[in-house]
Amino acid sequence: MELSMVLLIPAVAATLAGIFGNRAHAAAAATLIGTLAVFLLSVHITFGPALGIHGSIRGLAGWLSCDYLSALVLLLVSFVGFTATLFSLGYIGRAVKAKGLARTARYWVRYNLFLLSMLAVPLISQVAMVWIAVELTTLLSVFLVGFEDNPEALEAAWKYVVLTCMGAAFALIGVLILYWGLRTSGAGEFTWAGLTLAGLRIQPAFLKTAFFFILIGFGTKAGLVPLHTWLPDAHSQAPSPVCALLSGVETTTALYVILRLLPVLTWIPGHPAGTWSVSFGLISAGAAAFLLLQVKDYKRLFAFSTIEHMGIILVAAGLGGGAAHLGATYQIMAHAVTKSFCFFAAGATLLITGTRKIDTVRGLIRTSPVAGISLMLGGLAIAGASPFAVFISEFSIIKAGLAAGHYVIIGLLTLFIAIAFCGIMYQINKMVFGRPPAARAAYRLPATCAAALAVAVIPVVLLGVFIPAPLHHVLKLAAFALGR
Amino acid sequence: MGAKILFNIVQVLVVMLCSPLVKGVLDRFKERVQSKKGPSIFQPYRDIWKLFHKDEVVSDESSWIFRFTPYVVFVAPIFVTLLIPVLTDYPLFFAFMGDMLAGGSILALAGFFATLAAIDTGNPYGPMGASRTRMVGFLAEPVFMIVFFTVSFVAGSTIPYIVQQAWITPLANFFEPSHVLVMLAFLMLIIAENGRIPVDNPSGHFELAMIDESKALEYSGRGAALMKWGGCMKFFVLLCIFLNVLVTPWGLADGPSIGGLLLAIPLILLKMLVFLVVLVAIESSLAKLRLFRIPEFMGAAFVTSVVAVVVQLIEM
Amino acid sequence: MNQLNALAGGLFILTVFGIVGLRQVIGCLRLFVMQSVLLAVSALILGIETGSIHLFAVAGLTIGTKALLIPWLLYRLLSHEIHARREIRQVLSIPTSLLIAAGLTIFAYFTVRPLLDINSSAFIRVNLPIGMGGIVVGAFAITMRREALPQLLGILTMENGAFMAGISIAPNLPLIAELAAAFDVLIIALVTGLLTRRIHRRVGTTRVGDMASLKEE
Repeated sequence: MELSMVLLIPAVAATLAGIFGNRAHAAAAATLIGTLAVFLLSVHITFGPALGIHGSIRGLAGWLSCDYLSALVLLLVSFVGFTATLFSLGYIGRAVKAKGLARTARYWVRYNLFLLSMLAVPLISQVAMVWIAVELTTLLSVFLVGFEDNPEALEAAWKYVVLTCMGAAFALIGVLILYWGLRTSGAGEFTWAGLTLAGLRIQPAFLKTAFFFILIGFGTKAGLVPLHTWLPDAHSQAPSPVCALLSGVETTTALYVILRLLPVLTWIPGHPAGTWSVSFGLISAGAAAFLLLQVKDYKRLFAFSTIEHMGIILVAAGLGGGAAHLGATYQIMAHAVTKSFCFFAAGATLLITGTRKIDTVRGLIRTSPVAGISLMLGGLAIAGASPFAVFISEFSIIKAGLAAGHYVIIGLLTLFIAIAFCGIMYQINKMVFGRPPAARAAYRLPATCAAALAVAVIPVVLLGVFIPAPLHHVLKLAAFALGR
Repeated sequence: MGAKILFNIVQVLVVMLCSPLVKGVLDRFKERVQSKKGPSIFQPYRDIWKLFHKDEVVSDESSWIFRFTPYVVFVAPIFVTLLIPVLTDYPLFFAFMGDMLAGGSILALAGFFATLAAIDTGNPYGPMGASRTRMVGFLAEPVFMIVFFTVSFVAGSTIPYIVQQAWITPLANFFEPSHVLVMLAFLMLIIAENGRIPVDNPSGHFELAMIDESKALEYSGRGAALMKWGGCMKFFVLLCIFLNVLVTPWGLADGPSIGGLLLAIPLILLKMLVFLVVLVAIESSLAKLRLFRIPEFMGAAFVTSVVAVVVQLIEM
Repeated sequence: MNQLNALAGGLFILTVFGIVGLRQVIGCLRLFVMQSVLLAVSALILGIETGSIHLFAVAGLTIGTKALLIPWLLYRLLSHEIHARREIRQVLSIPTSLLIAAGLTIFAYFTVRPLLDINSSAFIRVNLPIGMGGIVVGAFAITMRREALPQLLGILTMENGAFMAGISIAPNLPLIAELAAAFDVLIIALVTGLLTRRIHRRVGTTRVGDMASLKEE
């Protein structure tokens, strides 16, 4: 019941926004109320009694289901959805001011639909429908990515659509092979739970082929190298709140599907799933760390950092063992809240300076203290400095890896994290400190943007020092869903 | 035994006598489709007759190749006729002398001499056309090879008579994907080798654009007659291979009676007539490809034949 | 019956090659229609052989969406922009790309061979390699072509290839999933078509392969 409500609310909000047409403020208000409601509902689902007793909730006659890992992703999606809505209220008004209110209303419609598709991914139980939901997250966000309507944004949107749909077609054949393997080995539901149960029975050849195709297919969507080329473009050309959604949670939902397959493959001797995950993860983290060093645009900087973090999560999940898996779920959570905060800071910077290039931004802290401090905090947090959440998660992954004896992997991972740290901090320092360029008229950030920054920074700072016990409980149980 | 030798001779005579007729019918069809009246279907006979009675002019600068080539071009298709099923579907006397690869090589020999002769006289248009012919030829070779390979893969042999048996027997085999795709590829090959549209314009007079016609430019009198006749026979022979082995391996004489043999003659001409209608339809609806796009055309033919092999492998 | 299915499969993979190598953009759209019809024919044959109504529904759905609705939609959206367009400069010359595509098909066949050894009926032996070949060569077509519509058709070809394999290996996937997937393909076509139109209005051309301004330098 609650699960269907979670999906119904954004749909209603989208319809209302569509109906309201020119009255952008009404559409925005509807969205705000909707996302707040969804967030509260997901908090209730995650920490509420129903999940605790049964370990999983079912809804809509079995089409929807939610266990701890789904609940975690759901919680993150709804949180970032809420804060991004808050940020959009101020941002869209300023950024689109010349284009009229009708466009703003269309933004809200697309925003709600996009949020709906992302909420659906963790909740749907049938694997074939999950594929469709992931496809829809792409298709419903294409015009959000190209919202600014200049040639660069359209180029980014085009690459986004083509490369992601290409990956989705690969993933489709993977899903079909998985279904075939399930049917050949006997009866069973084609859901995540059913697959995990049947993992022992299905022939390894089916599982390995299917996993390979789903890894490269949805890996394209999650930004794994070498199919990541769309990601820096799309995640930098989209409007900042949309970037926060894309980087923070859309890549996570794509990765979620891959992670769901890991427990199905744990029984194969030789752990091919683990090996492939670790290799792809390391390659992504390494490539992203090196590519990070030569960016000229600060939103692309954060986009490459997303690729790196996705790589780290995949490495952690592939290493195996409870501690590494706990690190992986922690990293998922930390990355979602921190990356969305970073993009809000980037959005504030864009509003104030009007440019995306790092070289032209100097002395941000003098021009606008709020933006400067947020950017600094965001940069530090995402690069993995203590006392932020990402530091804890990366540290626990490294610890777990060393304890299990994977010295080479962890060594490489630490190296990549260090390179990325230096790269990010160098660029952020250049932007935040220094002498600001010729005096600019003081620009006040819209109140809602500042409010969004304030709301978003809370978990970033808080989760680095203290994790509430229920949250830790959820993270641990979600880690169990990743396999042995 | 004597009957087989006799049938072989009849086969050769049929090829020699009926090939100009096929050419004449094709030319007339094309003209008719373009709403013109067109020459008589017996015009090639008259042309060859006229050319035989004319003087021959040979350049001083040319060598023995120039004089020798018309005979090669005339005789090569006759040799190939001995190897392929034209009127009968059981092997005749000389049938095991060579298989389809040998037939292809003999035709290539004729083409080789024609190319050399075109360069021999020093006329600038000759080598131009010769090099283009060789370009089309070498691109067509892989397709030939793969077609023969597929065919032999399916039928287990490269002797045309045996291949034909493999296709005839269960009718369902006709729709085998490898069969259909090989037919398509071979059709593209026939168009390329004989210089039809879209590869070349056989009725063009513009030397700069000629591919196949230029090799016969310098000849006169008897040489020209033999080149012309040889060209007609080559077309006829390729059509025989295509129709009798691949497309419609029916209607051939299957017993040693002379009556059956004579009945097969109008049947083969009928089959050719139907094919000519298809060819004229293709020629009239397409435009000639630009020269640099001919490799693309041959590439498409090659890929078609490769797909035929692949599908055959898959089905095993 | 089996051979008719194999014939449909052989012609299917030929159309995929055509999408890689055909210069004329409208010609690619026609090839796509032929491809979808062949897919529907294959589904029909499989449906007759296995007696499953499900596959008849899939065949009908394929003809309805991919052979009729999507081409009509794309033609309506884009006829102004793509009328008589040809790709003049390719990334690789056409014969080379056709050869690479043929090589990729053989590679795709070897990828699925271990699966075929485990469990295969005659139909799976034909449809799965051809479907996989369609996917791989479709991905190759996306990287090779520079015009917008052939890239979109490359994506749709990949989906067709996945369906081609799917009708043989997963014939009783719930009908809802099939419907949703068909709907999804329709949305892909719609979204990409609208985006192409907007690109044409903004940038002035549909040669999306040339739009490469977002780089590090």
